Amino acid sequence: MGMFSGKVIVVTGASRGIGAAIARAFAREHGTVIVNYLQNQQAAEQVAAACAELGGDAWAVQADVTSESAVKQLIEQVMMETGKIDVIVNNAFAPYTFDPDERKLAWELAWEDYQAQIDGALRSTYYMCQAVIPIMKKQGGGSIVNIVTDLVARPVVPYHDYTTAKAALVGYSRNLAAELGPFGIRVNCVAPGLVYPTDASRRTKEEVKEMLIAQTPLRRIATPEDVAGPVLFLASDWSRFMTGQTLFVDGGLIMR
Amino acid sequence: MREYAGYIPHIGDEPIETRVLTFEKNGERVEVEVPLLTVEQLNKVTEKVKQASAQFLKSLSVTEIINLLDRVMEQLLDRRHPYRQKAEQVLPIVTGYDEEMVRLGLTSYFKTFRKPQLQRFLVEDLENPLLLDDFQPRPKGGLSKAVGPDVIVHVWAGNVPALPLWSLISGLLVKSGNIGKVSSAEPLFAGWFARLLVEVEPKLADCLAVVWWKGGDVERERAVFGQADVVVGYGSNASLEEMQRRLPVTTRFLPFGHKLSFGIVSRSCLDARKAWHVAHQAAFDIVRYDQQGCYSPHLFYVQTGGIVSPKEFARYVAHELNCFAKRFPRRPLSLEEMAAQASWRQREELDVLVNKEKEVLGNEAGDWTVVYEPERREFAASCLNRVVKIVAFDDISQIISEIAPYRAFLQTVGVAASPKELFEWAEWLGKAGATRVTALGHMTSPEAGWHHDGRFNLRDLVQMVDIESAAEAYAEQFAPYVD
Repeated sequence: MGMFSGKVIVVTGASRGIGAAIARAFAREHGTVIVNYLQNQQAAEQVAAACAELGGDAWAVQADVTSESAVKQLIEQVMMETGKIDVIVNNAFAPYTFDPDERKLAWELAWEDYQAQIDGALRSTYYMCQAVIPIMKKQGGGSIVNIVTDLVARPVVPYHDYTTAKAALVGYSRNLAAELGPFGIRVNCVAPGLVYPTDASRRTKEEVKEMLIAQTPLRRIATPEDVAGPVLFLASDWSRFMTGQTLFVDGGLIMR
Repeated sequence: MREYAGYIPHIGDEPIETRVLTFEKNGERVEVEVPLLTVEQLNKVTEKVKQASAQFLKSLSVTEIINLLDRVMEQLLDRRHPYRQKAEQVLPIVTGYDEEMVRLGLTSYFKTFRKPQLQRFLVEDLENPLLLDDFQPRPKGGLSKAVGPDVIVHVWAGNVPALPLWSLISGLLVKSGNIGKVSSAEPLFAGWFARLLVEVEPKLADCLAVVWWKGGDVERERAVFGQADVVVGYGSNASLEEMQRRLPVTTRFLPFGHKLSFGIVSRSCLDARKAWHVAHQAAFDIVRYDQQGCYSPHLFYVQTGGIVSPKEFARYVAHELNCFAKRFPRRPLSLEEMAAQASWRQREELDVLVNKEKEVLGNEAGDWTVVYEPERREFAASCLNRVVKIVAFDDISQIISEIAPYRAFLQTVGVAASPKELFEWAEWLGKAGATRVTALGHMTSPEAGWHHDGRFNLRDLVQMVDIESAAEAYAEQFAPYVD
């Protein structure tokens, strides 16, 4: 018996990086994991296969989470197969390259840059939540975990558009937590620091990594696997009296 | 995936036999086809290389050679270049080292062979690099020229990726024909480099060869060594002895055998702010190529009397190794290496029972081990692969007496100390046999122009030809324009 035996978990953007690590961690605890992806079918299927090997039940489902109809379809499909959804992990975000040297400066950003990130992080989470709230209400509970970033507390590198969208997601999550608490639905956030290696962070230079490491009490940068533990905690009954919180997973770089 | 190792100049259409070496890491597999030439073919290659380098390579000025090498390095430093991408993709599988470690290691290594670094390398060894081009006036009177051998044979080791570059580039700078034998552990890089060099300057096509045979192949070694002017050998002392036995008396042998390197940390670095940084750098030197280099530290001496004690320092290093295990995971070990490590650790753990102050730190996976010793009884080599001893000391003289019996093996000492201590200690260490003192964090990346094992890389390869002042003065008498 794993901690998530009999539970159904949907992880968005789970074909690679942090999402894939989260999917595998749920599978290790014998959960039924829906590995959502946008483009990379092969990678998503590999993640699903790895999940199955780890003792979970898993399948890969393509859906563009920034499309309301696609999200509806995704949730319907999951409900058809499993009849319930216990956990949603909103991990997907719009493509973004974390390159501290080549990032856009504040005065170079167009509103469209912000809009793209807001669509990727906030709009997608909004669609997922709208689709799943009626189901969780009916079930009498559920857990929603949204992946944000520790940059919302301290923009070590000001990735304006990305971090602004994630900060909006923190605000959105707190409001949702207030509204959904009376139904037994919990909404929390996990805020990782720089996670390496992922496709998005591959261009981060050694100097930046060394600077972060020197300021981080636990003296290293996060791996995708480091993020999974707190996500599982917030998805589990162990955090049953926590909602509206943000857990920072950055080795102590941010303390609050 | 299949890769082709080696580089053979054109010696006719007769087919060249090959062998396939297989490498595997985390489910990825590379088959490397290595050329196995017959003795007759090796003789042809040697003859060709000798002739071509005499005709073309020796006609280039040293500046022209540097410019060619600089262009090759520019390509190898470009992460979009196909050879660079191939190196980043294939070398981690072949050597087992972590991908990120290989990527970062290659960049820092290639940087030492760019034009300004090569110029420094030449000046360091020869003072006046023009000595390689022409007779140059000497302070003693007369003129001299540095003449490189016709053929240098290199027998390379494979403990660190791309290692052959040092001796191959040295051989090219002295305008010699070069024949290199790659190791079965890393047979690829030298061949890629040769092909890239020939792409940059096609006229060099017959001036070098990269071949393979199984180490200790008496027949082939005798044949090739017999035609070499200089043989440069890397490996264990036993295999170097074997090689030497196959050399004609007249052939010069430059052996680079196993070495012992270590670090020393002064109490002046062990305060609340700096101690962690020093531990971080020490751990980096341990992690880089899993201590497989001759310059990798086997142990660290840490001075007592600082705000952070040697024991606390050992714990800092342990945590750093744990962090690096995530950032740059250790390569998979062979069964022999695993057994060596297990027995090493067991012996140390038993010793803790009688020596209460001692500590053995490690994680469950066993991918690093730190042993703290309050005092040293004997200087001993580590079993490597991220296993290190941290030993407390009070005065430098204690270290010197402990390392004295290992004089012939000492190489790099990584030092964290104040300027006054650095120079004092370097004096002691030099007398004890160490040949390189560097900063922690730099132990595994020697600077351009370093004196490998205390020797001159280029000067050891060349032969000086003197025109004595007497000859010059004498010739004056016979000039047709004598009045």
